[in-house]
Amino acid sequence: MDRQRRAGFLFVLPAVAYFACVYFIPLVESLIGSFYRTLPGGASRFMGFGLYERVFTDPVFWNSVKTTIKLLALSVPSTVVLALAVALGLDRLTLRWRSLWAAMYFVPFAVSLVAAALIWQWLYEPVYGVLNHALALVGLPPQKWLQSLNQVLPSLAAVNVWVRLGFDTMIFLAALQAIPGEYYEAAAMDGASARQQLWHVTLPLLNPQVVMVCILELIFNFKIFDQVYATTQGGPAGASQTIIPLLYDTAFKYFRLGEASVMAVFVFGVLLVVTLLQWRIFRRPVDY
Amino acid sequence: MAGLLAVTAPDRAPAQAKKIVYWTHWEQNPEFNKWYETKGKEFAKKSGYEVEVVTIPYQGYEAKYLAALVGKSGAPDFFNGIVHQWCGQYDFCDKMPADLEKTWSENLPKYMLPVGQFKGATYGIPIEHGNFQQMYIDVELFKKAGLNPDKPPKTLDEWLAAMKKLSVYDAKGEPTQVGFALRHKGHPVGITDKFLPFAHAFGARMLSPGLDRATGFANGPEMVAALHFYGDLVTKDKVASLAFGNPEETFGQKRAGVIFRESWYFGWLKKNAPDVAFKVYALPCAKACPGAGNLFPWSNLVYKNSPHKQVVWDFLRFISNAKDDLEQHQLQGILPVWTVNLETPYVKGRPDYASTREMLAQPVPPNYYHPKSNELATAFGEAVVGVLYGKGQPKPSLDEAAARMDRILKD
Repeated sequence: MDRQRRAGFLFVLPAVAYFACVYFIPLVESLIGSFYRTLPGGASRFMGFGLYERVFTDPVFWNSVKTTIKLLALSVPSTVVLALAVALGLDRLTLRWRSLWAAMYFVPFAVSLVAAALIWQWLYEPVYGVLNHALALVGLPPQKWLQSLNQVLPSLAAVNVWVRLGFDTMIFLAALQAIPGEYYEAAAMDGASARQQLWHVTLPLLNPQVVMVCILELIFNFKIFDQVYATTQGGPAGASQTIIPLLYDTAFKYFRLGEASVMAVFVFGVLLVVTLLQWRIFRRPVDY
Repeated sequence: MAGLLAVTAPDRAPAQAKKIVYWTHWEQNPEFNKWYETKGKEFAKKSGYEVEVVTIPYQGYEAKYLAALVGKSGAPDFFNGIVHQWCGQYDFCDKMPADLEKTWSENLPKYMLPVGQFKGATYGIPIEHGNFQQMYIDVELFKKAGLNPDKPPKTLDEWLAAMKKLSVYDAKGEPTQVGFALRHKGHPVGITDKFLPFAHAFGARMLSPGLDRATGFANGPEMVAALHFYGDLVTKDKVASLAFGNPEETFGQKRAGVIFRESWYFGWLKKNAPDVAFKVYALPCAKACPGAGNLFPWSNLVYKNSPHKQVVWDFLRFISNAKDDLEQHQLQGILPVWTVNLETPYVKGRPDYASTREMLAQPVPPNYYHPKSNELATAFGEAVVGVLYGKGQPKPSLDEAAARMDRILKD
């Protein structure tokens, strides 16, 4: 191996070692664990696909998958569209104002998810919460928010949007600023309106970032845990029981590590497939 | 230089005290927890070991316990936990030495003995007496409603009538003040725990006496009637509301006339809602009296892989006396555990003294100290909360829950 290659390997080694320890080994352990029932005292019994059968025939599991998908459908498009809109707005501001507003949008992303969840829990509080107070000021009736079967998912989706908006905006903003101004000049000279410029110049050039943000949001929302666990614990009446809190309860409240491993493998598989599909379908090469 | 050092250095550096580590998730009881450190300092004088107390947040404590106890490194030497889970479902606990077992079995109220045991073996030292629910009433709200706070409702029918008088509604018919602060949020295990006194009052039980079957019990006619009654409190009678937050806070904010809670709530109220004038009574009865029962009783357990387990048992032996029991519980406003302490001036001066005696005089209700109690209570609690939120009717919800529970039991 020549010196240059050796240097290359040395540079990637820390990242590979980290990846192996933090992701790969646990993944393999989960995969192995999904075939074993851990017995009291740490002994294990091989179950074959028995635990898969148990999990995949459990309506509670499929309800949690359905709830996860619902939450994802509420959160992902809103976050991406809003982030894009905010980034387009910020892109037009002067550097000073842009930095100020961008920082404001980014702050929620820096807040711990549990803290964010607890803040929103107070905002949503049906009796003393700011949101119902604001509704009362404009003559609207108070809502139950997190304590309503119908409102709990949109309420949690709003928290997700608040938390993730800044991060996505930053990605879009960086991408927007990297688009050469000549393209817009050329488009303007060809008589393209602002809307046409957005549709035919900006969005195609942002496609890689849009795909990336969509994938990241999908993963983030599919794995949602902190917000749910800190605010509703899956309630009311299971209306916000998403898959990771169920996995957590299965592993650590019911001590069924094997079944929890099956769920972890399921989440990994779904995310892998969806990400690959998304990447393949939506990623279009853009030629400048 | 050596001479200078010899002059300035202290005669002898104090020996570094060794530690035994205690994990607790009772974050609502800081004084109670801190007491172990205080006693640890005293214990260190004869053993050289102090006690380090680590408070683990209650929410999600199981994961941290499990990771530490499985992994061994970083595990506590002793911890606050549930015997049938940590010693039954998993084998993490050291059995109690015979002399200590004798001490505790002679000094605990009889109904508490199973709390520290699993399949006949004793592992844990129960740390909370009065861990069954009692009825706390708000004296002012009772008087405002025209009720006599010295004559509490004795039956569930009388109780419901009182709850109706205590509830106040807005123009749209929504309660702004409720009779009963009902638990409807959080994990279904907690929901089950708060519903069980009603179930037991109706003569129902969640599992068969052998703890091996749910069908016929969790969905038996008594349980269905109890859940009808409980659901109606929210949906029909409107004496409890889903729009209110935690029941403890609702009661502390004087927005509910009654709450059912354990003995620690006395200390909590004194600290967090000192202006609430309250009295404590035994729970109302129906077909049966709910009695002194609980779903998740707490004990001090010794980790069997701890290198210091003998020291820990020595420490527990050191604090196993009536004086320390009283001191520790009094600090936090909890009822002490030792039988002899139940007649001390501290306990006699508590507002729940008479009611505790009354509850203890009732037959002990069923207990569900099964290794899978969390999972079983979750399946059951989901049916209860589903009815409260109008997601289902009692009978089909309980049928579904019972089938799930049977599956869990067979697994």
